[in-house]
Amino acid sequence: MAEYEIGSFKIELDLTKPLYEQVLDQIRHAIARGEVELGSKIPSVRELALQLKINPNTVMRAYQELERDKLCETRRGQGTFITTSEEKVMEIKKSLAKDALNVFVSSMKDLGMDRSSAQKLLEEVEWE
Amino acid sequence: MNMAVETIKLTKRYGSKIVIDNLDLSIEEGKVTGLLGPNGAGKSTLLKAIVGLVKPDSGSISIFGQKPSIKLNSEIAYLPDRAGWYQFHTVKTALGYAKSVFPGFDEPKSEELLKQMKLDVDMKVETLSKGQQACLQLIFCLARNVRLCILDEPFSGIDLISRERIIQGIIESIMDGSRTIIISTHEIYESESLFEKVVFLEEVHIKLAGDAEELRRQGDSLENVYRRLYR
Repeated sequence: MAEYEIGSFKIELDLTKPLYEQVLDQIRHAIARGEVELGSKIPSVRELALQLKINPNTVMRAYQELERDKLCETRRGQGTFITTSEEKVMEIKKSLAKDALNVFVSSMKDLGMDRSSAQKLLEEVEWE
Repeated sequence: MNMAVETIKLTKRYGSKIVIDNLDLSIEEGKVTGLLGPNGAGKSTLLKAIVGLVKPDSGSISIFGQKPSIKLNSEIAYLPDRAGWYQFHTVKTALGYAKSVFPGFDEPKSEELLKQMKLDVDMKVETLSKGQQACLQLIFCLARNVRLCILDEPFSGIDLISRERIIQGIIESIMDGSRTIIISTHEIYESESLFEKVVFLEEVHIKLAGDAEELRRQGDSLENVYRRLYR
């Protein structure tokens, strides 16, 4: 496992998982957590590939998917920028929260919990 | 999907020793492919067959649909596993020489790579460290606008920093579009994140070939796959 810091991003790569998914996931999470400023520029494909020592096509693939989700936008000759839309950020936050909930639900099911007992536990759990 | 290299039942013997046996292999155009396997698996022989330095005993090999030839070699940049260079040259004269002999040598690109690999153009080749010489050799290949780039053991016997510079040089060279690069190496850990495709050769055969990201999806690094295959 290797860790890299690029500007406001921190990316960790694990060679036992698809690399493009890790780049994509970690940028998505950084946006959802508000760790990157809306409208700010993210590293160029070249910069990120050189820093992470990965194939530029891998970075490109991740960036293209971010663009498809409208989380990023590439302006010709200027670089790639994070969306300025709070709405998009909420959307991605919700979708990541849903993923986390699905994991939660399946581990509850795994333990033989039904919905109401899981809900009860959730209400009792400490947030702090 | 276009193939850069295709072999059909390729066989090569040195005397009575078979080094490549009935090999069917395809290497995709526009991708970085890692060619992995233990010593004696036939990696260098295969790469030599691509540039026509080794003549197959039977079977066929085609590069972009053509037979290996001197004409075709102008489309291929080949870094042999052992290469020499004029010791009395400076880096600058060596590059000038490369420009005059290698088809498709791109000077601005070579300068970019020199910067990337932190080589000083006024240094004499004989005073370069082994790692720096390897970087220079690599520039001769990567700075060429050719359809296929073959790097046979570009990292072997080279210090960590130079290995990292070589990797950065390779990344830099892929930046202006997809290139077909075949890299044979034992330094899997350091280079695997560059690979889009990977071929594991074993003595005379293919053990496994596939998409690098798909293999990672199965929860293993390429280095681990290698260990599992050859232990």
